Amino acid sequence: MIRGRVIGEVWATRKAPGLTGRRLLVIAVDGADRAMVAIDTLDAREGEDVMVSVGSGARNVLSPGPDNRALLCDAAISMIIDGES
Amino acid sequence: MFLAKVIGSVWSSVKWPELGGLKLLLVRPYSLADLAGDADGAAPAPTHDGVVCADVLGAGVGEDVVIAYGHAARVAVSEMLPDGAKPGVPIDAAVVAIVDRWAVNRQ
Repeated sequence: MIRGRVIGEVWATRKAPGLTGRRLLVIAVDGADRAMVAIDTLDAREGEDVMVSVGSGARNVLSPGPDNRALLCDAAISMIIDGES
Repeated sequence: MFLAKVIGSVWSSVKWPELGGLKLLLVRPYSLADLAGDADGAAPAPTHDGVVCADVLGAGVGEDVVIAYGHAARVAVSEMLPDGAKPGVPIDAAVVAIVDRWAVNRQ
């Protein structure tokens, strides 16, 4: 998983059908000059620290189980971080 | 997934048959610094190395797009092709959205 902070959002009308209704957030990856886009199902807000699951794990965020291979998802916010020490 | 700008296209005649008819684009991913530059009112310019990706949405040069990697890229291409499932298509990056607008506020 990747730790990052929500810094923005992306809107698109022309998109793959599998992305219909999905909220896409821009994430600043911690410790790198890199931004990524992740699907949000937790209603994360700008400025919040989050964990992003990538790959097969990201599909499990949208729909847990072995029959989710048809989902279009390679990055999804899996938790909003409250605190850490 | 990541945000990128389309900067060109790639074509070839010698390729795996599964790639036939598939448009390939050259895109440049936006780095964090590129996106943050937007706040100054200047149009951000991507500076990262290029990535070649499949496109079934019809993106053009100069447009901003969202690119998915891996299995998600193959799902995106498969669901848009007329013959439905093409699970064997040998791609690992594809355009999944053509961006209308983005808002980034780096704190």
